[in-house]
Formats: sequence, structure tokens, C-alpha cells
Amino acid sequence: MNLSTGPTARRRSLLFVGRFVTFLIVFYLAVASHPGNDKVIVPFTALIARICATLLRWMGEAVTVNGTEIRSSSFAVQIQNGCNGVETALLFCCAVLAFPAPWKRRAAGLILGFAAIELLNLFRVVSLFWIGAHYPRFFSESHTVIWQSLVVLWGVLLFLLWAKPPDRAAAPAAR
Amino acid sequence: MRPEPRAGLRALAGFLAALAIWFTLSLPYEKALAFSAELLIRLFESPAATRLSAQRGEILVTRSDWPPSAPSPGLPAEDVHFNFVLLVALFAAERGTWRLDRVARFGIACLILYFVHVTALVFDLEALYATRLGSWSRSHFGPVARNLCAGGYHFYLVAGRFAAPFAIWWPLRAGRAEEGAGTARQRRRQSGRQAGESARPSA
Repeated sequence: MNLSTGPTARRRSLLFVGRFVTFLIVFYLAVASHPGNDKVIVPFTALIARICATLLRWMGEAVTVNGTEIRSSSFAVQIQNGCNGVETALLFCCAVLAFPAPWKRRAAGLILGFAAIELLNLFRVVSLFWIGAHYPRFFSESHTVIWQSLVVLWGVLLFLLWAKPPDRAAAPAAR
Repeated sequence: MRPEPRAGLRALAGFLAALAIWFTLSLPYEKALAFSAELLIRLFESPAATRLSAQRGEILVTRSDWPPSAPSPGLPAEDVHFNFVLLVALFAAERGTWRLDRVARFGIACLILYFVHVTALVFDLEALYATRLGSWSRSHFGPVARNLCAGGYHFYLVAGRFAAPFAIWWPLRAGRAEEGAGTARQRRRQSGRQAGESARPSA
């Protein structure tokens, strides 16, 4: 059993993880600080709540929005950190920034990745509200385990797609 | 790992299998976590008074220096360890999951994640002691210690619990995405080095 795949590859991997964790701490401090939370995260979360409420109304749910809260006559959710997709977006951004790549590619990855993560997150919030309103006993596990894991997995998958090495085998043949 | 359509399906299958394992083994795992965290806390505690016990989904906290009638606060355990599901899904996404070296890597990853969970539980408990027990908290913890304990667990909740499986899996995964990637300057340097090596006469 050989667990090592060469010192250079291992060193690169560990360097990547080191940069990733450093970015994570820096972004965490920015997001968790009062100005970052009050001026960016809360308004962004309120925007998500408004979009989700619109989608839920299209589905026939009679909902109202108050800040970051979506409410119907039978159920209400408060969208907080962890449900606004910011954590997964944070992980994705840290991984993209930590990965060795040209800045143009990084910028494209950050924009497209953020959009894709938030798109899935909208679906998550809408489905969780629907589950909570119609099948409340499934809400807790769906919220804590299933959807959180799926959104993070989605973020990782997007990162892997972005980080996919260019196909070098085709290059010489094209010349 | 190079992403391919089947990797997504494998990750999904791993995710579902991990959910089943997680639901089945949560309670024994929480008991093991409570035991290890209690050991760790009591090493640095004077007097060593903390007792942790696991109930389904919750770690109950008691102290030998609290009155017996005092309520036992509970720490939500699922928040700490549900990320096991993520770790399994990431390893399952790779080809040849059942190869011996992959299984060994997965075992190492689980062990690292276990230590992460124990550390998170210790921070959760210290955050409880430091911030949620009124005058007892204020008399035992200064402002710096309060912020450190509460901040440490908050970091885990906001970022650490999602990042941990990825950060553990990345160096242990089968393929290496960094290879062949890099900035233009890094790629030029690498290809120059390779050209130099191939031009050298072989012995």
C-alpha cells in the first residue's frame, strides 16, 4: 500500500489546502464581522427571501416576506447564515483563489460558480419551505443534513469542473 | 480527480449510502465523541468536573460542581458530525473506491474528521461555558476567552464544518487536479524544465 504519490504532488496539495484555509479564515472574519454581516449578508439574504417568496407564490403558496423571514399561515422560515448559500460560495471562492490558475479564469469561475451555487440554493430554500409547510416532520433532517450536504457537494463539484486540467493529449495532434 | 459524468452519480450513491450509515450509527458515534471530548476537556480542567453523555442528536453536559438539581444543557450533535456524509460522497466520487489504497486513505480521512469533531465539540462546550451560563460564565471567563471560545465554534458552524471534509479529502484523493494546471508563467516554467530534461542525453 503506497499512500504517497510523490513529494511534489503532495507538497502542492498541502500548499493548496494551506492557502484554502488561510482564505477561509480571512473571508470568515469579513463575513462574520458586524459591518460585513449587516451591510452585505443581511441585505443579500433578504433578496434571497424575496426571490424565494416569488417562486413560492408561483407554486400556489400564500406567503409574505418580512426581511429574511418567509411566512405562510401554517409555516415560517427565517433564512440565516447556512441557508443563504454564502457558506458554500465562500468555500468555492476560497478554493478557486487558492488554486493555481490565471486571474481571468479565476474571475470567470468566481462569477459563474457563485451564480450556480445561489441558483441551487434558491431551489433548496423553496423546497425546504414546501417540505416544512406540507411535511413538517421531514423538515429538520432535510434542512440540517440533506440539503446542506447537497449544496456543499454542488460547490465542490463546480470547483472540480473549473479546476479540471486542460486536455493536453489533443494539443500535439492539432498542430 | 478529473470530474466526469459518472463521478456525480458515484458521489450521489455515496451520499445516499452515507446518509443510511449516518442515521444508523449516529448514537454510538455521539457516545464516542462525548467520551473523547470529555477526556480532552478534563485534561485541562481544574477541577476536572465536566461530564458529557450522548442522547440521540444531543450531547448533555453536567458538572460535578453544579447542584444535582441543576438542568443539564444540551449541545446539538448533528451540527458537529453530519459532514461525515460529505466526506463519504467525496471519496465515493473517485473511480476504484474499493481499492485497498483508497480504503486506507478513506480510513485516515475518517480518523482526521473524528479529531475535528472532537475539537469542535470541545469548542462548542467551552462556548456554552463562556457565554450561556450567565453569572457563572462571567465569573469563570474573561472577555478574550469568551470571544475565543464562541468565535472558534462559530467559525466551525459557518465555514469549518463544510470545509473540513473537502480540506481532508483533497490531499488524500486519487488524482491531482493541480497537475497540468497553474498560471501561464508556472506552465511555461514547467514545460521549459521538461524540454531541458528531454534534450539531455540519456545514460
